[in-house]
Amino acid sequence: MKIKILTFISIAAMLFLAACGKSDADLTKAVNDKLKADGVAGITATVKDGVATLTGEAADVTVKNKAEASAKAVDGVKSVVNSATLKPLPTATPAAADPALTGKITEDLKKAGCTGASVTVINGKVTVTGEVPSAKYATCIQTIQQSGITGIDNQLKKGS
Amino acid sequence: MSAQEKYQSLLELANQNGTTYELSEGDNGTLVVTGTAPSAEAKQQLWDEYNRLDPDFKSGDLILNLSTGDAGDGGVHMYTVESGDNLTKIGKKYGIEWKAIWDHNRDILNDPDKIYPGQELKIPM
Repeated sequence: MKIKILTFISIAAMLFLAACGKSDADLTKAVNDKLKADGVAGITATVKDGVATLTGEAADVTVKNKAEASAKAVDGVKSVVNSATLKPLPTATPAAADPALTGKITEDLKKAGCTGASVTVINGKVTVTGEVPSAKYATCIQTIQQSGITGIDNQLKKGS
Repeated sequence: MSAQEKYQSLLELANQNGTTYELSEGDNGTLVVTGTAPSAEAKQQLWDEYNRLDPDFKSGDLILNLSTGDAGDGGVHMYTVESGDNLTKIGKKYGIEWKAIWDHNRDILNDPDKIYPGQELKIPM
């Protein structure tokens, strides 16, 4: 009877270990290797009980997402806790002074056929008002956003 | 949700279609994406995605400033002269002196008082 119980326990233990697979230390290494191989910079992983926790600072949200996908792809990782933060962004600077931006946008809008739109620029932030034909609307907004501004209050209306 | 999170699919798409970009923060948390797309098609893809995430670009939380690799204006702004224009009048539109325009267009102008409708003048930015 004792032997039977021992056998049972040892079989159960073997099954348990086999199910567990790699140790947390092995997995931690595997995930960090995978992050490096996938070109994810600034983020490190720690695995505990099969759960990978990501920490560090990602250059932008796409890097943070990529890190998560890489970690999930490692065999033996059950889930991922993505605690990586996003690097603070530098402050945008307007491409030119407000009057110069106003003049440039006004002229570019005219060239793009957006004569119904008018703009005012204050500290790099443009307020656009007026109405342009529906078919021109996207082009007009593109024209404004490509001028080196740092903010937009879009009140432009779509005409017929 | 930050603007970066709101527009993450747009940024993912940029990575996929070969658009290089830099991010900065503009007015009141506005995400400013300044980049170069490999083609007009790639640029249009990103604008389509922008329109999908923010219909009619109304939220004002993203500035998408993309050029295409082959756009060769080198950052110089061109002004087309209209009838009745003179350099002082054009300068006022940009908040600059007439002389600044004259200095940048001596290669095509012989006299600061003689400009013609349709002429393209370089405006210093």
